[in-house]
Amino acid sequence: MPVEIPKDKWTGKVREVSFGATAADGGTRSKSIVVGGDTTLPYMQFEAPTPHTPVIAVEIKSRRPEDWSTLLEETWGDAMNDPASWAKAAEAAGADALVLWLTLADTPEDAVKATKAVLAASALPLMVFGPGQVEKDNELLVAVSEAAKGEKLVLGICEDKNYRTIVATAMANGHLVSARTPMDVNLAKQLNILITDMGLPANRIIMDPTTGALGYGIEYGYSVMERLRLASLQGDGMTQFPMMVTVGFEAWKAKESKVGTGVPEAWGDWKARAIHWETLTTTALLESGASIVVLRHPESMKRIRAAINELMAA
Amino acid sequence: MNHTITFTTSDGKTVTASALTGTLVSDAAQQAGIEITQPCGGQGRCGRCAIQITGGNVRRRSTLRLSQEAVEQGYALACQSVIEGDASILVPEQEKIERNLTTDRVAAEVSVPSGYDINWSQTVRRVNVRMNEPSMDDQTDDWARLQTALRVQHKLETVEASISLLRRLGQVLRDGNWEVNVIYELKNLDNHSAAHIIDVRPSICDEDEPIYAAAIDIGTTTVSLWLVDLVTGQVKAQVAEYNDQIVRGEDVISRIIYASKHGGSDDLQHRVVGTINKLGETACKRLKTRPDQIVKAIIAGNSTMIHLLLGIPAASIRLAPFITAVNHPPLMAAREMGLHFCPDAVVDCLPGVASYVGADITAGVLSNGMDDTDEITLFIDVGTNGEIVLGNRDWLMTCACSAGPAFEGAGVKDGMRATTGAIEEVWINGDTYEPSIRVIGGSKPRGVCGSGLISLIAEMFLTGILDKAGNVNLSLPTKRVRATDQGGEYVIAWADETSHGHDIAITRVDVDNLLRAKAAIYAGFTILAEQVGMTLADVETMVIGGSFGKYVNVEKAMQIGLLPDMPWDKFKFLGNTSVKGAYFALVDTRQRERISEIASRMTYLELSADNTFYDAFTSALFLPHTDMDKFPTVAEALLSKEKR
Amino acid sequence: MALTGIEIFKLLPGGQRPPHPKANCKECGIPTCMAFAMKLAAKQVELAACPYVSEESKTKLAESSAPPIRLITLKGPGSSIKAGNEVCLFRHEKTFYNKPGLFVRVKASQANIAAEVAKADAYKVNYVGMDFTVDGFAVEADTLSGTSDPTKFADAVKAVRSATKRPLILVAKDAKVLEAGAAALPGETPLLYGADSANWEAMGDLAKKLNAPLAVCADNLDTLADLTDKLKGKGLEDFVIDPSSTKLGASIAKYTQIRRLALKNFRALGFPVISFACNAADEGIAAAQAIAKYAGFVVLDKFVPELLYGLLVLRENIYTDPQKPIQVTPGIYEINNPKPESPVLITTNFSITYFAVANEVEGSGLPAWLLVCDAEGMSVLTAWAAGKFDSERIAKAIKGFNVASKVSRKRVVLPGHVAVLSGELEAELPDWEIRVGPREAVDLPGYMKTALNN
Repeated sequence: MPVEIPKDKWTGKVREVSFGATAADGGTRSKSIVVGGDTTLPYMQFEAPTPHTPVIAVEIKSRRPEDWSTLLEETWGDAMNDPASWAKAAEAAGADALVLWLTLADTPEDAVKATKAVLAASALPLMVFGPGQVEKDNELLVAVSEAAKGEKLVLGICEDKNYRTIVATAMANGHLVSARTPMDVNLAKQLNILITDMGLPANRIIMDPTTGALGYGIEYGYSVMERLRLASLQGDGMTQFPMMVTVGFEAWKAKESKVGTGVPEAWGDWKARAIHWETLTTTALLESGASIVVLRHPESMKRIRAAINELMAA
Repeated sequence: MNHTITFTTSDGKTVTASALTGTLVSDAAQQAGIEITQPCGGQGRCGRCAIQITGGNVRRRSTLRLSQEAVEQGYALACQSVIEGDASILVPEQEKIERNLTTDRVAAEVSVPSGYDINWSQTVRRVNVRMNEPSMDDQTDDWARLQTALRVQHKLETVEASISLLRRLGQVLRDGNWEVNVIYELKNLDNHSAAHIIDVRPSICDEDEPIYAAAIDIGTTTVSLWLVDLVTGQVKAQVAEYNDQIVRGEDVISRIIYASKHGGSDDLQHRVVGTINKLGETACKRLKTRPDQIVKAIIAGNSTMIHLLLGIPAASIRLAPFITAVNHPPLMAAREMGLHFCPDAVVDCLPGVASYVGADITAGVLSNGMDDTDEITLFIDVGTNGEIVLGNRDWLMTCACSAGPAFEGAGVKDGMRATTGAIEEVWINGDTYEPSIRVIGGSKPRGVCGSGLISLIAEMFLTGILDKAGNVNLSLPTKRVRATDQGGEYVIAWADETSHGHDIAITRVDVDNLLRAKAAIYAGFTILAEQVGMTLADVETMVIGGSFGKYVNVEKAMQIGLLPDMPWDKFKFLGNTSVKGAYFALVDTRQRERISEIASRMTYLELSADNTFYDAFTSALFLPHTDMDKFPTVAEALLSKEKR
Repeated sequence: MALTGIEIFKLLPGGQRPPHPKANCKECGIPTCMAFAMKLAAKQVELAACPYVSEESKTKLAESSAPPIRLITLKGPGSSIKAGNEVCLFRHEKTFYNKPGLFVRVKASQANIAAEVAKADAYKVNYVGMDFTVDGFAVEADTLSGTSDPTKFADAVKAVRSATKRPLILVAKDAKVLEAGAAALPGETPLLYGADSANWEAMGDLAKKLNAPLAVCADNLDTLADLTDKLKGKGLEDFVIDPSSTKLGASIAKYTQIRRLALKNFRALGFPVISFACNAADEGIAAAQAIAKYAGFVVLDKFVPELLYGLLVLRENIYTDPQKPIQVTPGIYEINNPKPESPVLITTNFSITYFAVANEVEGSGLPAWLLVCDAEGMSVLTAWAAGKFDSERIAKAIKGFNVASKVSRKRVVLPGHVAVLSGELEAELPDWEIRVGPREAVDLPGYMKTALNN
């Protein structure tokens, strides 16, 4: 019985956004990364090819984090001591891009120093994120933005509370912003409107709709991303931005990943569970529309890389 | 332990009272006979009951709405301060409720329904009766004498009267020297032989002499009364007055909670009955008559107001699953309710639909006629709650959303009611950011009322002082925009331009409050339409009722996304549709029946039931809306401002 | 296609013109016909509750309400599991109803079957107060295509059955083998796997005889539709379909196509789908995809608790009703490593409220205890208005979560919106200091810095 495969006909398209400037564009990166451009729901390749392979970015910190799981400390070892060696290790582990996450302890000088060190150590396209406290983010990111002028960084976290400062510095120095909103379609759209109202070209916005990890609200992030992708395909211009999610950050916050003792026996082997936690969360979010996933563990990166290859192969 | 509290009022009067440890200052003041206004019902929300502690031992539970500076100066909230020792307290001048209720202006607009004829439309009738004087030969009792006369002279086979009427009947018959005027109500329009006597008056009267009746709307904030002559059907006077329950809380929830406290129910009932009596007197005075001439009253009002009026416990209205005690209240006599009308005047409270969609809305539907048209009509009645009805002759859907009192000027730092001194309209110059204002009464401003707030937000938005999220843009070249601990604010009037000597400003928190209020209402529209598979574009007529409808500027209300962006000719402003509905029911029994039918046909939708409301709400929590496509004319206005 | 509330309304007495004499009669227990129609559209009531609906309307409504994906139930002696009856493509449109059953595969040739199965069968894990387990087992014949020994298969099935009372999936391509296995399960409803282009007749006859659902397998939709169609000709109705792909890209495409077709009432594919994630390169990722993207049954290679736990949680998350207000588990939450002298802030368990408060305090860097009270998932004002957030409930939470044991200074901060509760709370908690905080979360940091700093 011949079955007519129902194909969706969408009018909208996610914007193509590129970050990381090569020498030709006035930067020092070995390549630019392009994300977005989708004209269908994720991996519906019988309708149209998925234009760009999703990006695996790795999270590194400006100074050795004290609250990371020992599983992560074991795997990254001394590379965690300084951002430059961490960047190299991440590149060696197969990262497509790097996310340098600054901390509350950093001064603007520290932030600039760390950024420059990472830019020198690895030629991968770079995103730089503030610690997530509005005033501190403004202070650090403006300094980083100026110091790395022309590198086409992605600056985060750009929220409703500080978007004016971050967007202004991104505009002045040729960077992109990662627009973060707390798991809500409307809020995501509103922030995009506010940012574009300031005059930042739309192809310099990546949205981070945030997510919870598996067991910690993943379903909200999952549905918000599905809805944002649907809205963008339906032609809603203020949702047509590629999405990134900081999965590693969320998944490794979960007790399931973070600790190996004092947990129920039914949770099974710690290390395998922790990797599953990051991997399963990532899988679900890739399939709901993430173009960039920011991970923490090299083993998860490997498994996600293989999964992405299978998804792209269809 | 007992403490001595010395209150000094603004006129220099000193009153001493004694109070136990732990007594609230507000309670101590009440016991001492000192009135302290508590618009939020003593919830510590509004900050209006601020008093100054000049000495002694008083503990503040909450200093909400007081600045650090004010606290240092000894200010405290009377409703949130506990007496712990002797104390001296200064009571500042209390805000007066002095709005000029201008309803008389529009009296002419209400026309009598065409074809009104007391003999066809009315169950209330009047006849003159002449009886033979009793004698030793004719020992018929007074009541039988009247009954016989009514049967013989007016074909009234069965008549009933209350015991209270019988108590005064003998005197009336003798005072009138056996010629009296009887006012009665037919059981129904089809049966002219059975009636209930309302009043017997000791004289014969002319046919065209008025028979007075009242149409009443009890709003949470305002009570309106129309005095109607049933002979001609004309509205003879329109009066309105603040609901005296306000001092016990501004919103229905506060009143319900107050009513469930010791004696609260009686207090609230007395207050609203008192308000109605006062209105009755004012209206009657104007027509040189007396309230005891009022023979019938039809009352509309939200479900809580009706419950409180009737002294029915209202607690279940507030608690899930939000059930009223009664949606179709029985008929009452004025004397049973303490109304100073004719003692046997029939008081008919109109039926409601649900806890938050009451008789004010069923009456509103009747008066706007949406139940009798093919056109899809959206009716909103905005008061402290916003009620929304969508439908036509086939179906009627309704919901209520809690907008909060922001549009009535409460919950906003410099907000106030629409009384003298309120800024009611604002224009802001897009180049200098300087405002022009219009103040009620033309004096120096004291605050901003609801319509002023709507126009202020719209202007701030269009001039770029606010971004679409309601953030104040602090980088503008004007001193009027300034930073505070709680985000930016915009100064509308400098201290030396105001009547109280303080800057009048709107803060980020105020803007948030207003955005939430408007988002709740807009989300209500959206969800209601969505539930029946429609969009707002399908709406053919938009009817706006409530005092809101009379004062607000549609263009500005659209610009902030409070009202949907529709062609202006789709909007109809009907003012108080509730009292109008009560009036129609009063002059035409068939219309009264129609309200019952409307009430039974309306389908109530509980908005809090799922996440779709929250979604629509967040979407509307933006200027004018997250989905700009829904506001094309606002988009255009923004564009043209930009070009300029 | 399902009718909307207003379309249904027009078929009911209240929607008739001229009015039906029984319009809005309330006899169904619902105030109006419109309200009934909307509940009917939401599948919250049965049409039978309306005594006056016309026969004609009944027929129309029945047509529109047939489920696009047939409900399939597998029954073991101890439990059963359902799949199907789904009505949407995206969970936010409505919700996903029947959680896909997670089955652990057992090979007939495997050693220690009963012991292995018993281990998995006993597995129980708790997630936010709910206990999750494995849903059943798939018993697979030695060689899927060849001629496996029916007796051996039957023995394996018996061994499995001796260790579990959960439903089973019997996997073999030889009808005789399956029949032998099924004979060991009297009175049960196992899933028979499965029919393909080669064996469909024999399998169909067996399924008919056993009155059990039959899985049909093919690597393309044309063949699948063809098979269910032919088998329907044999009088069968209950199918499960296996699009037989092990690669993620092909699976997501096919599973989506099947769901879309089913929702468009393409009956030949209107059945639950089974995923053999156990045959994929990365079982965990394949199973995660199957759970999110439309599988009705998922078969795992073996019992691995650390993976199973993750998948059970994912399934619970994806199948959570998105229309229900999001709630946070009531309790005492630590923000920025609070110390005994840190303040106790109070809020409700509506997630948005909780996140607003938690984020503000977290962002301020100030340590605090956040007491989340059970207010039935309502925001502070709504809960207060509805009587779900009062001094009694707050006092109960403070006592119930033993907050006093965590702090040295007994001081709680009420949300400003419920300042009115401070007096009653003082009475409930005489040894506590009751403070009234700001009304909005955004003002909390400022309040904590100034007002609480004494």
